[in-house]
Amino acid sequence: MTASRPLSSALLAVMLAASAAAAQTPTAFIVESPTMTTGEMMPRDYSPDGRNVSPPLSWRGLPASTRSLAVLCQDHGAGNPPPWVHWIIYNIPAHATGLPEGIPFDSSDPMPPGLEGATQGSNGWGLPMYRGPAPPAESLHHYHFAVFALDAELDLPPGLTRAQLLDAIEGHVIGQGDMTPHYQRHPASADLIP
Amino acid sequence: MATQLRSADVVVVGLGAAGGVAVQPLAEAGLDVVGLEAGTWLDRRDFAPDEIRNNYRSWPMLVKKTEQERPTSRATSAQTANRIGSHPMMNAVGGTALHYWAQSWRLNPWDFQVVSRTTQRYGASRIPAGSTVEDWPFGYDELEPYYDRVEHEIGVSGQAGNIRGEIDGRGNRFEGPRKRGYPMPALRWTAFNERMADVARGLAWHPFPGPAAINSTAYQGRPGCGYHGFCNKGGCPVDAKNSPHLTTIPRAVDTGNLRVVTRAHVTTIEVDANGRATGVNYLIGNNEYFQPAKVVLIASYTYENTRLLLLSKSPAYPNGLSNNHGQVGRHYLSHHQGAGVGALLPYDTGAWYGLPAQGVAVDDFADDNFDHSGLEFIGGGNLWAMSDRRPISAANMSTYGRSRGWGSEWKRFIRENGDRTHSFYIQKTTLPYEANYLDLDPQVTDPLGFPVIRITGQYQENERAIATFTQDKAVEWYRELGATEITRGGVGGSMGASTHAYGGTRMGDDPETNVVDRWGFSHEAPNVGVLGASVMGTSGARNPTLTAQALSWRTAQHLVDAWSDIAD
Amino acid sequence: MADPTPNRTPISRRDLLKSAGAAGAAALIPGGVTAEPAVVPAERAAVVPTGPLMNLTAQETEILGAMVDRLIPSDDMGPGALEAGAVRFIDRALSEAESDSVDTYRTGIAALDRYSRYSRGAPFVELSERDKDSVLIDVQLGAATGAEVGFVGSSGSFFNMVKSHTWQGTFGDPMYGGNINFIGWDILGYPGVRMRVSDEDQRDMEAGQLPPARRSAYEYGQFQMTGGEE
Repeated sequence: MTASRPLSSALLAVMLAASAAAAQTPTAFIVESPTMTTGEMMPRDYSPDGRNVSPPLSWRGLPASTRSLAVLCQDHGAGNPPPWVHWIIYNIPAHATGLPEGIPFDSSDPMPPGLEGATQGSNGWGLPMYRGPAPPAESLHHYHFAVFALDAELDLPPGLTRAQLLDAIEGHVIGQGDMTPHYQRHPASADLIP
Repeated sequence: MATQLRSADVVVVGLGAAGGVAVQPLAEAGLDVVGLEAGTWLDRRDFAPDEIRNNYRSWPMLVKKTEQERPTSRATSAQTANRIGSHPMMNAVGGTALHYWAQSWRLNPWDFQVVSRTTQRYGASRIPAGSTVEDWPFGYDELEPYYDRVEHEIGVSGQAGNIRGEIDGRGNRFEGPRKRGYPMPALRWTAFNERMADVARGLAWHPFPGPAAINSTAYQGRPGCGYHGFCNKGGCPVDAKNSPHLTTIPRAVDTGNLRVVTRAHVTTIEVDANGRATGVNYLIGNNEYFQPAKVVLIASYTYENTRLLLLSKSPAYPNGLSNNHGQVGRHYLSHHQGAGVGALLPYDTGAWYGLPAQGVAVDDFADDNFDHSGLEFIGGGNLWAMSDRRPISAANMSTYGRSRGWGSEWKRFIRENGDRTHSFYIQKTTLPYEANYLDLDPQVTDPLGFPVIRITGQYQENERAIATFTQDKAVEWYRELGATEITRGGVGGSMGASTHAYGGTRMGDDPETNVVDRWGFSHEAPNVGVLGASVMGTSGARNPTLTAQALSWRTAQHLVDAWSDIAD
Repeated sequence: MADPTPNRTPISRRDLLKSAGAAGAAALIPGGVTAEPAVVPAERAAVVPTGPLMNLTAQETEILGAMVDRLIPSDDMGPGALEAGAVRFIDRALSEAESDSVDTYRTGIAALDRYSRYSRGAPFVELSERDKDSVLIDVQLGAATGAEVGFVGSSGSFFNMVKSHTWQGTFGDPMYGGNINFIGWDILGYPGVRMRVSDEDQRDMEAGQLPPARRSAYEYGQFQMTGGEE
């Protein structure tokens, strides 16, 4: 099945939203991952076909006046209306250079060192955690990780939805970085079951 | 071959809330009455405070007959109807009144005259399009003595608000004038109820305690409510919930003139060549019986009342008994009683030992109690803030997105918040419409092969507008109480089957648009009477049961008074 | 004449289960089919209810128990669903009111374990607490599919069924085999079944001073368990 191209138009849409939210045009910065690449299959461990842990992300080239960061993972090809949100995390300290793999999904587990205060919002299932791709069988979907650099420490409350987050960061977005790997569920395979 | 039984004066089909009340005046007047009930006798030993059985295993509602006759339901006639999941009615001597919430309200005077009063105050164009609403054939004053009689016979506790025109601010200032107060004071209030009432007064509203067919004090030799907390879908283990099985039925039996036959499943009503009823057919197990009677009163709840008529076809009534004018099943409505509002409060409410009939009512936004100029609807709703909480239901409370609903974090949440939720029950004016009706399902039958009832109905614009308006008021009340979360239910789509079902055999003077006359007897078959909310043409903003019971007593009394006219 | 009633269990079995008390009996927590029994901390083994189970194998019970144990865990706040006897409640329910669900349980338990092996690489009972929770979240959300995992319908409906029964078994009347020692009612702060709550009792409760009434509804003497249909 050919991958459709929601990628660039969705990217554009979010950037336009971000630029409307920004005081000036946000600076683009680099977002990468040691285990994921834009335009390629994500490892299954970031999905319910595997351990369903949050993937590692790293970034560089943030604007100098960055005071905090927020990350959204969304599927512009799902949801009614789209996008379907897989992860929202914000109040990330400005000195963080990324997110390690496996951010805790249980509130009694602390955030990793250097990420104290990072807060998770409500994903599409209403849960404050990362939940990875689970597209319909034989369907390829794209997962857009957007990282926002903000000019203030907004100290946002837990459990915000995507709409609430975008509203709260309006006027504060000074930079944005993106990456978009894709995922398709592994087909039924008897040899995977011991 | 059916066994022919000895003829009775009156056969009453169904001994629930309505039928169970009618038997007393009939038997006391010396008429020979047979009461046929599909269920059996239950008593307080059957009513343990057991949430699993009452609320999760649907006992004591698991009588096969109601389950097997479950209606089908669809929103409009463009759709196919699907079988409903469970039937809210129960078969037993005393019927659903054995476990119901026992709220016991009179209608307000406006409810009897929606058309004339709306026309007079706002103009005829304000009657919602597509509604078939009519004024009742009589007003509140006509029914008042029967409300009074039933309140005393079965025992209703409450606080009067208007005695012969004198307003008492402790009660409902909007109610119709009563001859005298309630036989018992209202059920007690918790500290949280008091707080709610204070806040309502602060909003310039007029809160008062609701009336209940539940003893607040010892009455007729039975104790007052124990507040054990399992009243919701639970029978009463101390006989304080006043179903007919404790009151009017035993009194009738004691006269020697009422014979109760249990496990009797009535199938059809027989008529003669002149279109007069001659009796009813029923089954006990596989055994068939025919009970001849001079008068037949059907009291088997709205769906079954309609169904029994439609199934009783004959040359005189090819479309069902009393249906030559095509009115059986029409003017049906499920009460708009959903679209509630819920909240999470930052303090405990002390509701573990409450009951749905205990609480605070506000009638300021019911009926025409407020000026509707400039509004898009007529009628209104009663805000009812009750105290009701059981352990499993508390553990199932919403976590308002604060927890995934299980695990250690949830355990922490529930320990703190288990007694902190509350909800409003908002009953609204609901009118009949051309588009909403009952008929026989073309496909689905019960195990005997008889078609079940098909409900076609959806909530119309007027009622949805009332729902939004009254929800706004409830939200305002919660904000003043300091709620940290407030949620509103959807304002309504398909009606579905209801515990408050009205119409299908509407009462009115005009035989072209009503099945029974102003006394409850069929226009077409004058020795067939109907008891229950199926005769009611409007719902009002309160529960139907007391009104159905008052009408039932009145119909029975009329039968006694006019016996020779009706029976011969 | 009685209508036919489905699967009514004889009273004697109920009494048997009721008398299979928590204290002292050999640990039920099944060792499963492996040669060595699963390691169970000694203190926990003593309080989890024991006795014959009638509808699930030892291995199925172990997996179900591990799931129930995550739904309402034993933690620093006190005991949870397992100690409250929720698994015992479920087994009895499967013999009585929920007898239509036996296959759904057995299929669902097998599917849960298969999904755990497929996605997390180990049987469900061997996963860490966090990994079990992660698996259960995916089951709850209907994402536990793929590789012929085998849930009938959505994995979410299996999750909801087990959760619903676990709640009944933890917070329902102890007569049904759960809510042992009122563990469930204590979690909620529910002061227990009382036939009569005086004005003073109500005020005491509002002040947080009403001692819990630790009784089943059926210890009040006048009730019979009529259960089922007429």
